[in-house]
Amino acid sequence: MSESDPPVVLIVEDEPDVAETYKLWLQAEYEVRMAQNGDEGLDLLDETVDVVLLDRMMPGLSGDEVLTRIRERDLGCRVAMVTAVEPDFDILEMGFDAYLSKPIRSEQLHNTVTNLLERSEYDSLLQAYYALVEKQATLEATKSTAELAESEQYDELTKEIQEMREGLSDTLGGIGDDDDFIATLRGLSNGEEN
Amino acid sequence: MYDLSTVLDFDALQSVRPGSSILISGPAMSGKERLAYDVLADGARDGDGAVVVTTSDQAKTVVSDFRDLVPELEESQLGVIDCRGEGGTDSGSVDGAYVHQVSSPGDLTGIGIGITKALEGLHNSGRERGRLALVSLSTMLTYTDKKTVFKFCHVLSSRLDSAGYIGVFTIDSSAHDEQTIQVIKQAFDGLIELRDVETGGREARVLGLSGEPTAWKQL
Repeated sequence: MSESDPPVVLIVEDEPDVAETYKLWLQAEYEVRMAQNGDEGLDLLDETVDVVLLDRMMPGLSGDEVLTRIRERDLGCRVAMVTAVEPDFDILEMGFDAYLSKPIRSEQLHNTVTNLLERSEYDSLLQAYYALVEKQATLEATKSTAELAESEQYDELTKEIQEMREGLSDTLGGIGDDDDFIATLRGLSNGEEN
Repeated sequence: MYDLSTVLDFDALQSVRPGSSILISGPAMSGKERLAYDVLADGARDGDGAVVVTTSDQAKTVVSDFRDLVPELEESQLGVIDCRGEGGTDSGSVDGAYVHQVSSPGDLTGIGIGITKALEGLHNSGRERGRLALVSLSTMLTYTDKKTVFKFCHVLSSRLDSAGYIGVFTIDSSAHDEQTIQVIKQAFDGLIELRDVETGGREARVLGLSGEPTAWKQL
């Protein structure tokens, strides 16, 4: 997600009225793309898409199948599955990042999209944080304490790590709730990096 | 605040902030695991919840060992996440403790679900304080790379922070290169280091929790 462009949300939904409603709610803040079925959704999907709202029950390719294909393509987008029933924790293992139970209200949709974008931000911060920590660890493992004390590079790195650590606790306020926690871990296990 | 100084006598361990995660590092057979369990048991005697994530002992063993340490252990005061991958993926109650089976020590999502359910159970039984022990990160490092384990520790610490829990995690310092230890260490608020002394016995020191590293102290 770049600074200037709005985040991109892809709506995959076979009922035109429902899709149109989501679009109306989201279009002021996001660039919205719409697909009427799974195949069309996969066609419209590229690395610029940040969040996918995926209907689970669709004719043709089901939401579950679309999700599997999205994960295979390793695009790093966040997927909110739209379902008629509220799933249990275990269903989070299926690989979506959030679920929304129909019917969806405007506020709920906004919150979910915001949350998923924050989580992406958290992941990229965590990734950047790790890169710095690894650099620091290499220095600490190869240089003496005296050499480290002299090193400007080490000093700067330490400050940068400190700042990033604070940034991480600000984003998401740590890990907001159970869904965030599990979905974030799922992202780690899949090696899904930004 | 959590007082761990009754388990390990250091001033730096007297008032550990809720949300802190501590790495216990030492060579094989240096008593890391025992120390982690003692931290949990000491809290459980005062009514704190206890969560054990195990990659080596089966859940049943953990529950009975824990009962030996804390005879007054109450129903739903202990949750065990067994990641050895030998007990299927069931969850349920074993001798009054909540037990969740995970398919492998590399299944971070499964471990997360187990921890979530264990925390939820403890919360529902009215416990607002608690301690989690993960034994050990060394096993997890054989299933996945250090980058993933680092991130996992960071995310889990964050979750413990929002629950107001403290966490203790063990790592076998003799099983990994220095860089790996340095990296993993960074995911924690503090470090308890254990070492064997040539003349016999064991020493410990505490780093990072308050002020300068402590001196080595005979145990």
